[in-house]
Amino acid sequence: MTDQTNVKLRLNNSELWGGLIGLGLGGFVIWSGMKLKLGTINDPGSGYVLFYTGILMCVFAGSIIVAAITEGGPTLASRWENVRWSKPLLLIACLAAFSVVLEPLGFLLSSIPLMLLLLRLIDPVRWTLAIPIAVLVPSGMWWVLKRVLLIQLPSGLFGIG
Amino acid sequence: MDTLVNVAHGFGVALLPVNLLYCFIGVFIGTLVGVLPGIGPISAMSLLLPVTLSGTPESGIIMMAGIYYGSMYGGSTTSILVNIPGEAASVVTCIDGHQMAKQGRAGPALGISAFGSFIAGTFALIALMLVAPKLASVAIAFGPAEYFSLMVLGLVVLTFLTQGSMPKALLMACIGVVLGLIGLDSITAQPRLTFGRMELIDGIGLVPVVMGLFGVAEVLLNTEQAIKRDIINTRITHLMPTKEDWKASAGPVGRGTILGFFLGILPGGGAVVASFASYALEKRLSKTPERFGHGAIEGVAGPESANNAAAGGAFIPLMTLGIPPNVVMALLLGAFVIHGLQPGPLLITQNPGLFWGIVASMYIGNVMLLILNLPMIGMWVQLLKLPYNILFPLIILFTILGVYCSSNNVFDVYVMIAFGIIGYFMRKLGYEPAPLVLAFVLGPMMENNLRKSLILSQGDLWTFVQRPISAVCLVFAMALLIAPLLPSLRRKRELVALDEGA
Repeated sequence: MTDQTNVKLRLNNSELWGGLIGLGLGGFVIWSGMKLKLGTINDPGSGYVLFYTGILMCVFAGSIIVAAITEGGPTLASRWENVRWSKPLLLIACLAAFSVVLEPLGFLLSSIPLMLLLLRLIDPVRWTLAIPIAVLVPSGMWWVLKRVLLIQLPSGLFGIG
Repeated sequence: MDTLVNVAHGFGVALLPVNLLYCFIGVFIGTLVGVLPGIGPISAMSLLLPVTLSGTPESGIIMMAGIYYGSMYGGSTTSILVNIPGEAASVVTCIDGHQMAKQGRAGPALGISAFGSFIAGTFALIALMLVAPKLASVAIAFGPAEYFSLMVLGLVVLTFLTQGSMPKALLMACIGVVLGLIGLDSITAQPRLTFGRMELIDGIGLVPVVMGLFGVAEVLLNTEQAIKRDIINTRITHLMPTKEDWKASAGPVGRGTILGFFLGILPGGGAVVASFASYALEKRLSKTPERFGHGAIEGVAGPESANNAAAGGAFIPLMTLGIPPNVVMALLLGAFVIHGLQPGPLLITQNPGLFWGIVASMYIGNVMLLILNLPMIGMWVQLLKLPYNILFPLIILFTILGVYCSSNNVFDVYVMIAFGIIGYFMRKLGYEPAPLVLAFVLGPMMENNLRKSLILSQGDLWTFVQRPISAVCLVFAMALLIAPLLPSLRRKRELVALDEGA
């Protein structure tokens, strides 16, 4: 690794961030375990295992942080070097938007635009193929689930689906 | 004699038309996901887990098992013809398999891979029939301390074999345990980490977690790069290996089968480590190791046999102890639980039709796979040309539907999307999801057994050391935790590290 990608005491060391997130989660789990009551070793309470798992998480996260500081690690940017980082980002945005509109719009009205976006955004499929796939596949699945398997999909505020 | 009667009973169950159909669907889908790079058996099984609800437990589990061992067959096709492993257990097959294909010997490579897989699969099933009932009768004597220690060992072995740093894998395992504990405490019924949300009272479902971490995250990762495929375009002929090929492959197939079977039984092990170990063994035993990497048929025969034998062996801990040794088996455990069944020592005696039916169906499935993978190889080659820009949106849609249908709950779709995004960033930062998923399944069982053993022993921690089986498991687990600190063992660990825990 080059000096640019393998950094030690810098804030853009991705290993350091991974360890810090783990440490934060570990701390939260310890706190949750204590809140739930630890009980005694003869009669462990609801928080007993959570508390000790939290401690282990902090130990492992600590060792990741120590390794990040002493041995260095790749920068956050280098993790996305030479890849089409915008594609997963667009996909994440589409999925986030889908999860917001799924309940209000229902399955059909939310999944058809989702499919169309995915077909056009990942590696663009020509419109003449993308539109029929985006309409027919979710509609076909909806029909099979609703009519054949009698599974009720979310129909949204407009009651479509 | 008892075994023969049971096997006959099993064939009676497996040969029912509906079970034959489910078995065929399972091995067909297994081959399909094995052939298609980017989709593994874990994604396919999690996608189809809700489907198992519609039929009998036998049918559902026969189909799920078919997907697993079917993917082992299909994975080799992509490795040999495209040099992209269809799933993790076929990574090693790329090395010599694709070289053989380049030299115009794709047919014998595919042939020996299918026949080796069939022989290994058959051996593993016979061994499963003989070993499982015996082990189940021993396992009845297991107490909570033994179960707890066995699960600890399973998790430690998996973290040891996972790619990347061990602290990262252990951190993932701990997070998995915590996620598994969300919901009502099974002893005190106190809600834990539910943040006041009713949806979390029953805990997080296995299906959304696995589909998110393996299905959605896999698609996100794959969209980063335009997938290039260098498919061997020549006509595939001479699928039957020659006498010389058989002579060279007999030893590797035999050794790979035995090695794979035992590595499959070990908690945390599985098909991936078996294929790597078999390749290393064959290279070491060969009089001409320099041929390896340049189209040696032994480099295909050994690993392909080993991964299939391991797939069969992995059923033993699940069926006899109720402990899934890897993520795929954890999903299969999920299928059992969905049907209200608990795999373990009593499964064979209380549900003989189910156990022997599954075993017999695996044999029938192996025969189906041989037919699917040799005469119909042309069909799978055509499938390799399927455009990914159409396939990936379809996978996303199917995962959404699969998750929704498993619980009829939109909340699970949100959980899956969240885990998909988390899984993508985890992989980018070098955190493997396999230990998390196995710990997620084992976490509640581990907690339950730990608390039970502490209550029974009145808080005496020595109970874990005084019981021999428990002590042996903990000693092994401790040794594996310490091992990466030694430089020579650390190098060995890096050699066998997996990129997926299946």
